[in-house]
Amino acid sequence: MRDAQKEKKPPRHKDTKGRHLRAVRAVLFLVPWCLAVSISSLACADENSDLNLIPGAVGQEPAKPAPDQTQPGAPAAPAPTATAAPTGKTYIEDAFTVESLRSPLAVPLPPSTAPALEIQNRSSLDFTHKWSFDGTLDFSFSDRANLYEENDIAIPSHQDFRNDFREGFVTWEPEAQTYLEAGRINVRHGTALGYNPTDFFKTRTLVDQSSEDPSVIREDRLGVAMVQGQRIFENGSATLAVAPRLASPTAIPTSGPPPSVDPGFGRTNGTNRVLLSGSTELADGVSPEFLAYHDDDGSRFGASVSRTIGQAIVAYGEWAGGEQGSLTSRAIQFGHQTDALPAIVVDPDPRKSFTNDAAVGASWTDGADEITLNAEYHYHQSGFGAADWRNWFAAGRAGKPLVDSLLWYTRAYAQDQQEPMSRQEIFLRADWQDAFIDKLEISAIAFVNLYDGSTLTQLSVSYNLSDDWTVSALGGASVGASRSERGSVPEQANAIAQLVRYF
Amino acid sequence: MNKLATATLALGLALAPSLTAPIAAAWAADTLTAQDMIAATDKIRNPGQPFRLTSTLIEYVDGKPRDRSVVVVYAKEDTASGQFNNLVNFTEPARDQGKMVLFHGTKLWFYDPASKASVPISPQQRLIGQASDGDVLTVNWSRDYKASLLGDDKLQDADRKDRDCWHLDMVASNDEAVYSRIELWVEKGTYNPIKGKFYSDSGRVLKIAYYRKYEQILGGLRPTQNIIIDAVDSKLVTTVDTSDFRFVDIPDSWFQRDFLPRLKIEQ
Repeated sequence: MRDAQKEKKPPRHKDTKGRHLRAVRAVLFLVPWCLAVSISSLACADENSDLNLIPGAVGQEPAKPAPDQTQPGAPAAPAPTATAAPTGKTYIEDAFTVESLRSPLAVPLPPSTAPALEIQNRSSLDFTHKWSFDGTLDFSFSDRANLYEENDIAIPSHQDFRNDFREGFVTWEPEAQTYLEAGRINVRHGTALGYNPTDFFKTRTLVDQSSEDPSVIREDRLGVAMVQGQRIFENGSATLAVAPRLASPTAIPTSGPPPSVDPGFGRTNGTNRVLLSGSTELADGVSPEFLAYHDDDGSRFGASVSRTIGQAIVAYGEWAGGEQGSLTSRAIQFGHQTDALPAIVVDPDPRKSFTNDAAVGASWTDGADEITLNAEYHYHQSGFGAADWRNWFAAGRAGKPLVDSLLWYTRAYAQDQQEPMSRQEIFLRADWQDAFIDKLEISAIAFVNLYDGSTLTQLSVSYNLSDDWTVSALGGASVGASRSERGSVPEQANAIAQLVRYF
Repeated sequence: MNKLATATLALGLALAPSLTAPIAAAWAADTLTAQDMIAATDKIRNPGQPFRLTSTLIEYVDGKPRDRSVVVVYAKEDTASGQFNNLVNFTEPARDQGKMVLFHGTKLWFYDPASKASVPISPQQRLIGQASDGDVLTVNWSRDYKASLLGDDKLQDADRKDRDCWHLDMVASNDEAVYSRIELWVEKGTYNPIKGKFYSDSGRVLKIAYYRKYEQILGGLRPTQNIIIDAVDSKLVTTVDTSDFRFVDIPDSWFQRDFLPRLKIEQ
């Protein structure tokens, strides 16, 4: 465009006045042209000044060998399976925890389950690896070994060590995108963050955690021994998982999993279970998943879906429903099954009814400030409503140890099953990367009971010292009135310092 | 500085425009529009077959290298949408090893092998560390941007050599565009990208990119190093070196969330 301007000439005139006018016109024309050229030169000079921002170290690297080995039209390499590299992650972690306990409690804890822990240090070796053999056979292994020092445990003793055997399974791919697997596998479903009704294999998989953040808790849970087959199609997949009963169900630990090297099949494989799931890819970015689940207690069905809205929002939701007893009823039955509750404790209402569980929410990301917010609504129909909570506190006022045991057992059962205690709650999460300084991440979560407003909250700050080292600090609290869900638990607040070294 | 933004530029820019002489001659007609130029760069981005590459990202702070990360990218053009589908696998640093991101149209999924969870994410959501998924998402500029020719500029490339360039202005034409605006300087004759400036919705310059180390790759002359300057915090500079280019057979079935745990990275 500027070149085109240069080629234009003013019209020629013969008279003196005309010459003056032409001169004036020429000046008037040349002024903007000169200005344009000057601005262009200045602009380019300004553009070139960006080069001064490039570090001197850039460009001093040794030349790379010529990388082009393939020309267009050449036959493509087969799908990469034959020489897949071993993958995995190994790290050591040390977590020092100080916990303050609430006292007195609205409903006293049975003496045998009263937590004594106030100070703990946990050192863990975490190992997850996958090896591939001949392209069609893989072996996956995941394990964590924990060493504990606590203020109420002798050192050394058999309670100082616990091994969490999370996964160990073989995968065979007899043909492309068809997989057969056998072993202990961590199968997870669901799109929500704080509660996953469709994550049917989540029950009884928790090991003790140094965080209340669900996104962290998910990273350390036991798999389930199963046989699984999966076929991935062009626009979807179908999966069938069969998990047999391998051991009698073990009782719910009263204060965290028992220290041992027990693989815990009595927790993960105490009942026969089958899960059929399928997903499909629809237009407009919608990817629903459908599930059908059956165990010795009955059948449940589920579905989940998510959709991206614009550049910053993802909406998601999941639902599960089926015949099920109330939370109290299921807890009592399980207590009888594992001899944790005496026969004198009778289920007041063993009837089953169709119950719904749901989690719906959305995430929003501020691309400029690197902040992501999640807000979810959780509905757990068989959980406690306002009347159930009133009854729970009223029963605990009687001062009968057996009743107190049952009341607290119900809550332990809900935690063991990884299901909400209350029928309705809100979950909020905020994550800020590069907060204030580079590589500093701040996260906050809150579970809010919609009946009494009590809240479980946690703030964590994590800083990557280098590619290999991460240091974190977490602080959590259960906040609420003494006769509220979160204000009635013994754990009032905790603080954790954590150091991780990756290899 | 957004490192994997750099990876966009690794994928989108490493495969960015560098027309061979015959193509350049064919396009050198006066009728060539700015949109034609961008369309030409799109053709260069797509080598015609599905491919993979490795991107090594090094972040410099105050001129000194601080962090290094490596990703392997599998890319295949969706013939229906004209957009690229991508699978991004993190191989370094160790804390992020095995994490993956799927870009399939408007569907984005992040998979973490530690949690076995595939989580839907938005294009603006950061992945891990400095990585931004949205930067990798859009590689077909002519589909997402309306281009116009601002003029001719003589510009220095990253090696401080003078280049005669076309100065293009690219404005987002749909919601899937990662940036609201891009300024691009393309060398006349070769169509090599020399420099780019990337803008936010508010009109702020987010990053400045230089393209260098042109080498013969997958049948075309393409830049193998991108230098990304953080325009907000100019002491942060990231280089993206692309290597290990290969044509690979990528089935369409790879671009869905259930395949994420199944991908194996060949050595």
